[in-house]
Amino acid sequence: MAARHIFPAFTALTLLFVACRDPKVTAYRVPKEKDPQMGPAAPAADANAAPAASARPPGPSGAGATMAATPVATASGAGLIWTAPGSWKAKAASAMRKGSYAVGDAGAEADLSITAFPGEVGGELANINRWRGQVSLPPLAEADVAAHVTRLNENGLAIVIIDAAGAGANAQRVLGAIVPFEGATWFFKLLGPDAVVAKARPEFLAFVKTVKAAP
Amino acid sequence: MNDSVRHFRDFIVSLKLTVVLLALGLLLVFAATLAQVDLGIWDVQENFFRSFVAIWHVGRIYLPLPGGYLVGGVLLINLIAAHVHRFKFTARKSGIFLTHLGLILLLLGELLSGLWQEDFRMRITEGETKNYAESYRVNELTITDTTDPKFDDVVAIPEALLARGEPIQSAKLPFKVVVKSYFPNSMLAMRGADSGPAVATAGIGQRVIAAPQPPTYKPDEQNVPAAFIELVAPENSVGTWLVRLPTQETPFPPQTFDYAGHSWKIALRPQRNYKPFSLTLEKFSHDVYLGTSIPKNYSSRLHLANPASHEDREVLIYMNNPLRYAGLTFYQSGYEGEHTTILQVVRNPSWQLPYLACTMMALGLVIQFCIHLVGFIGKRRRTAAVPA
Repeated sequence: MAARHIFPAFTALTLLFVACRDPKVTAYRVPKEKDPQMGPAAPAADANAAPAASARPPGPSGAGATMAATPVATASGAGLIWTAPGSWKAKAASAMRKGSYAVGDAGAEADLSITAFPGEVGGELANINRWRGQVSLPPLAEADVAAHVTRLNENGLAIVIIDAAGAGANAQRVLGAIVPFEGATWFFKLLGPDAVVAKARPEFLAFVKTVKAAP
Repeated sequence: MNDSVRHFRDFIVSLKLTVVLLALGLLLVFAATLAQVDLGIWDVQENFFRSFVAIWHVGRIYLPLPGGYLVGGVLLINLIAAHVHRFKFTARKSGIFLTHLGLILLLLGELLSGLWQEDFRMRITEGETKNYAESYRVNELTITDTTDPKFDDVVAIPEALLARGEPIQSAKLPFKVVVKSYFPNSMLAMRGADSGPAVATAGIGQRVIAAPQPPTYKPDEQNVPAAFIELVAPENSVGTWLVRLPTQETPFPPQTFDYAGHSWKIALRPQRNYKPFSLTLEKFSHDVYLGTSIPKNYSSRLHLANPASHEDREVLIYMNNPLRYAGLTFYQSGYEGEHTTILQVVRNPSWQLPYLACTMMALGLVIQFCIHLVGFIGKRRRTAAVPA
């Protein structure tokens, strides 16, 4: 029977082609990508801007929480210390946050997170725009940055203060400080409802001035 | 000629084989049409037509069918072999010959499209430069050594390998990649007090939970795969990460870690196809008709740079005016917000073949019809001329 010969022939051919289509692990070298312009929707954001995440994850327990403070690599080595106002409630520390506080009254709380990452984390502009994205504001151009930030020099640290409030009924506001320190960048970020953050602003500014290098 | 060779030849040129193959083709189209409800158009195309063996799920029964490549391939061989063996080219049969040639070309065209066609997209934000296009549907896990200040060493593992769940080893990685779980579609939620222990031991996965979702087959929905990946070095486990495809709603940035004095980055992303040239988006314009929000024109002003050919020029892509470059066609296909353009990047070197094939078949049928018509009329005239 001819079929006797044909069957193995076609089976072999089939296997050959199937083998050719087999997915393979590939390895290659590419020049480093330039830092992307960080917009509110930049899913391909670079690793070093790891905390970037403007959207809330879906799901019931995701409500009200953001991945914004999700750190990836934390800076190690010498750190910063600070004194938090007595009215702020210290929250359980996590491996990822250097510090964590609840600011405001129960029911109308803002979240203060203190994180640190090695390097410049994408640079000042990228981080400002990342935070602006978290309160649904458009990114700033490099030239406009100066008008939107306050620069302080406290305890030998160059501190950049950003205050950005979103628009609308349930507007969120971010009040943050970026502090470069010994090759790492520290982020002090107060994120919450506009009214709560606005009320806590004087406390936050006083708090930022207490930040200093650990002895 | 020995017996088995003659048997084989008789089988391969037989008209019965043609009929069986056509019947199988019909059955395949029928099965694929029904399966499209559960699998969606892309999976059906891959699993039924661009495969050698298709598995048709009828209720709980798994029915193997010869796939499109097998049916089409054998039909192609059958057609060519029958022509070589049996058909003698004569003027009277020129129409049939041309029709069959057209059919051969059609089958070949489909095969070449399946092998050569590329359909990718490029998503570029103003000021951004990209030298790669991304797949619409195929994803890859990438583990990148970012230690070198100028270059990234990327190891890309196709999603299909993650789905198999077997440990993956690459000579370029100092650790083994173990897939702890893989979800073809997933949802994310923040980790709560009742979430149980985290599978991930590093990165974002410690703070969020990823739950499997049933895969979607609707054309306007996207599956968002996720996986828990453990990297196991010879002496210990480096850690377990949650990776997930980033979407516009839920970005999921690459996660970094240090191991063996090198800096690494792990991410799940759409499969990339690097090009020897780059495109920089200078301006994206979205014009509407005055006083309305009806779109009038989308256009992308780009800068094309190819170091190999010393090209450095500006290009404008707008609706119905694609850029054709390096065998690729770049169409303006969409946008995100005011400053991000989405270009569809298509390569199909054999796109003209179906047109040519259909023209040849139509022409062949017309010629054959005319030959018969002329013969028939001549025969009638001759019959009429002879008195009964």
